[in-house]
Amino acid sequence: MTYNKPPIQSPKTTRREFLQSVGITFAVGSTGIVGACSLDSSSEPNEPLPSSGNNTISANAWVTISADDSIKIMYAGTEMGQGSMTTLPLVLAEELDADWENVNVDIVSVHDPVYGNPIRYTYYGFPILYTAGSRTLEAYYPVMRQAGAQARKFLLDTAAAEWRVPVAELKTELSQVSHTASGRTLSYGQIIELAELPDNLPLVDEKEYKRQEDYRYLGKDITRVDVPGKSDGSAEFGIDAQVPGMVYASVLRAPVEGEEPLEINDDKTLEIDGVIDVVSLPHGVAVVAETVEAAFWGKSALEVIWSTNSPFRNVTQGETLDTYETHARDLTFSTDSPLWQNVGDIEPAFNEANTVVEEMYRADPAYHAQMEPMNATANVSDDGKSAEIWVSTQTQSLTVMAAADTLETSIDKITLHPMLIGGGYGRRGEYQAKYVDEALLVSRAIGKPVKVIWSREEDVKDGIFRPLAAQLMRAAIDSEGKITALQQRVATPSVLSYFNVPRWKLAEKRDGISMNGAQTSRYDIPNIRSEHLIMDRGSRVAAWRGVGTSYTRFANESFIDELAHREGADPLQFRLDLARNNPDGKKVLEEVGLMADWSRKREGSALGVALSDYGGFSVAAGIAEVSVNEQNGEIQVLNYWMVIDAGFLVAPRNVNAQMEGNVIMGLSNALKERITISDGIVDQSNFYDYQIMRMDEMPDIHVKAIINNKSPSGVGELGLATTGASVANAVFAATGARVRELPLTPDRVLAALRG
Amino acid sequence: MANFTINSESIEVDANPNTPLLWVLREHLKLTGTKFGCGVGLCGACTVHVDGNSTFACMIPVSAVEGKEVTTIEAQSNPAQNALKEAWVAEAVPQCGYCQSGQIMRAANLLENNPKPSREDIVNHMRTNICRCGTYNRIIKAIERAAEEV
Ligand code: FES
Ligand code: FES
Repeated sequence: MTYNKPPIQSPKTTRREFLQSVGITFAVGSTGIVGACSLDSSSEPNEPLPSSGNNTISANAWVTISADDSIKIMYAGTEMGQGSMTTLPLVLAEELDADWENVNVDIVSVHDPVYGNPIRYTYYGFPILYTAGSRTLEAYYPVMRQAGAQARKFLLDTAAAEWRVPVAELKTELSQVSHTASGRTLSYGQIIELAELPDNLPLVDEKEYKRQEDYRYLGKDITRVDVPGKSDGSAEFGIDAQVPGMVYASVLRAPVEGEEPLEINDDKTLEIDGVIDVVSLPHGVAVVAETVEAAFWGKSALEVIWSTNSPFRNVTQGETLDTYETHARDLTFSTDSPLWQNVGDIEPAFNEANTVVEEMYRADPAYHAQMEPMNATANVSDDGKSAEIWVSTQTQSLTVMAAADTLETSIDKITLHPMLIGGGYGRRGEYQAKYVDEALLVSRAIGKPVKVIWSREEDVKDGIFRPLAAQLMRAAIDSEGKITALQQRVATPSVLSYFNVPRWKLAEKRDGISMNGAQTSRYDIPNIRSEHLIMDRGSRVAAWRGVGTSYTRFANESFIDELAHREGADPLQFRLDLARNNPDGKKVLEEVGLMADWSRKREGSALGVALSDYGGFSVAAGIAEVSVNEQNGEIQVLNYWMVIDAGFLVAPRNVNAQMEGNVIMGLSNALKERITISDGIVDQSNFYDYQIMRMDEMPDIHVKAIINNKSPSGVGELGLATTGASVANAVFAATGARVRELPLTPDRVLAALRG
Repeated sequence: MANFTINSESIEVDANPNTPLLWVLREHLKLTGTKFGCGVGLCGACTVHVDGNSTFACMIPVSAVEGKEVTTIEAQSNPAQNALKEAWVAEAVPQCGYCQSGQIMRAANLLENNPKPSREDIVNHMRTNICRCGTYNRIIKAIERAAEEV
């Protein structure tokens, strides 16, 4: 098996030519009307198809079998290390009974709704290609199974007709149909030469799907298609794009968002050997050069006078967060967003409560620190209305749509070459990506292909961050010590309103990025209210791994712990009691307790636990073992145990890798990652003042997945949300000091120790 | 103009002598396996070998490798590197993969000087190289596996 690298500098093929150039292409839909490949497809690339309703999958061309027995499977997500470029095609190959050795995986590069993620329907009116929120496997799994099963059924029927035997006497294995009684076999490639593809392939009933015990690939550890190239340097990321005739650009951006260049002195820049031109952009000044080094040097030599009237100049982080906190504490304050979660009625419960408990939790912004700095390469046509783009993106659809906006053209004029992603974590999922715009605008201005590369310093200073948040947690406790109501007031900006404006327009003020995790359905509490107080953003904001959960679950899982301690209850037992109607949650809690040997008292260290569901139906429980240096406030995480339930594990070893990755990124963030902003300028600039966890700082990590046969669900962000709270809870268990601010830096630990 | 050896081939590069070796490799010679991460010696993504020592390619100007031997992830015939590449696949180390060329080059340097490193040796040696995806455990396992092979 291989995957086809996105073509570099290939002439643009229309989808029609593409389909005609191959063998038989099968298509699938979940509506019961299933179109075969339709060689005369009316669906041109990048043209939104009308869709007939929610959860509708239009005719999708997913698998192509060629006479030479090679099989091509389309992958409509983006690969950033989570593994779905392998697992999704593998699901199809399994159901098709294909020989994986002869499978090629092709990345869908067009914004074509027939490949859109079925659960990304409601935001745009049609499904888009968008890899985020750990929903790719869950969403495409039924599509891939059906596509594989339909293709297999067609092959079986064709062979049966050829041999004039009942289909029931045939079986498939490794891209072959065989008739045991007569000893005859036909390869899939041979069969398609006999075949007349009907206009419609019938939907295969789920009962006819392959049984799990017969799986050859799923649930085993098949080498991911992208791993070999990532182990010898040949994998091509966005930054590796090489386009003939390409020049380089480096952009000096306004230090404060919203400012623009007023005066540019480029005398010294233009003296530098290799510098070609200087291009003024709305938000900065681009230096274009024959070499990347000349572009960077030229940028350093620029002298620019910036405007000074941006309101962001007044932003200073501590003050911003204090304002958020004031609003969160003021129970009469609300913004016009609908309740995020509303169960029962909290008002009577609070009025009748024996005790009301209230605590405030704060979180600083976080930076993605993806290892590949932002970059893009673009080649805009002479008329400025068409472009080719090479970029690492989490969304083919939005990248194409936004590029068309920028060039004021239509989406069919944009050709995208999606490259491998050197770290996504939400960073590359925005609608209007500044780095893409820069490449487009500079290319249009100078009439050449241009590669724009951000330095790490630019990547930090011009970062788009997980937002800061102040959250008030409240609980009503009755005379028997029972929690009768829980309230979570989250004062934080709307991420969507900046990060993805078109989606925000359709979201009716429900921000699924900012508020993710602020719901508490995992526990049995009769009255729950969760509210988004939409704050002015003090910085650019983005989705970050686990989206809202890294701070919302820090608050609600720390608070549950505080309630347990108030009642004198064991925090694990307290959660188990509350999760009485949540068997999956209970199970992972019990298991992780066993793994960590929860009730054993440690010398010099202590444990803390947290529970978090995420993305589809996945759930995780984590336990941190920490020791705290009470002199300097440093926390050391010694061990981390995590147990998850993500349904059937399509690729178990990969699931483990994702869990470890989540623990490391979550702990790194919880312990030390902190963006601060002064007078509108980001204070940090590189890995010395924004440090992330290194190998020698990582704890021993012990992970386990519950084995079951439920439908598979995402793991790419699962469990990250347990880290902040479990560490804070462990710090409390170890010292009696409660830290309610992320990250849990030594100064905050010391302050909490002093009370 | 700089003359040096790259993966056993002599080469002459027409670049400003102050150009970081990283950009000469990536954009002049199109050897893009070596990655740009931080540009200031903090992440290890750009790790190559100069005369057998692991070096941050972002930190040295091309003039500093005049007459020297530069080895990158693209080298084919380095036994430690080859064992590591295989071990990387066997242990399925990479996630996004962006840091991994640097990790392998850094690890190759370890195995060349210390063919049977302890876990502690590995961790101390590899702490220069960041992996945001958190593949550290797999990296350790793969280095241990490669050490068995070499
Ligand atoms: S790019 Fe050279 S050490 Fe980071
Ligand atoms: S594999 Fe992604 S940074 Fe290491």
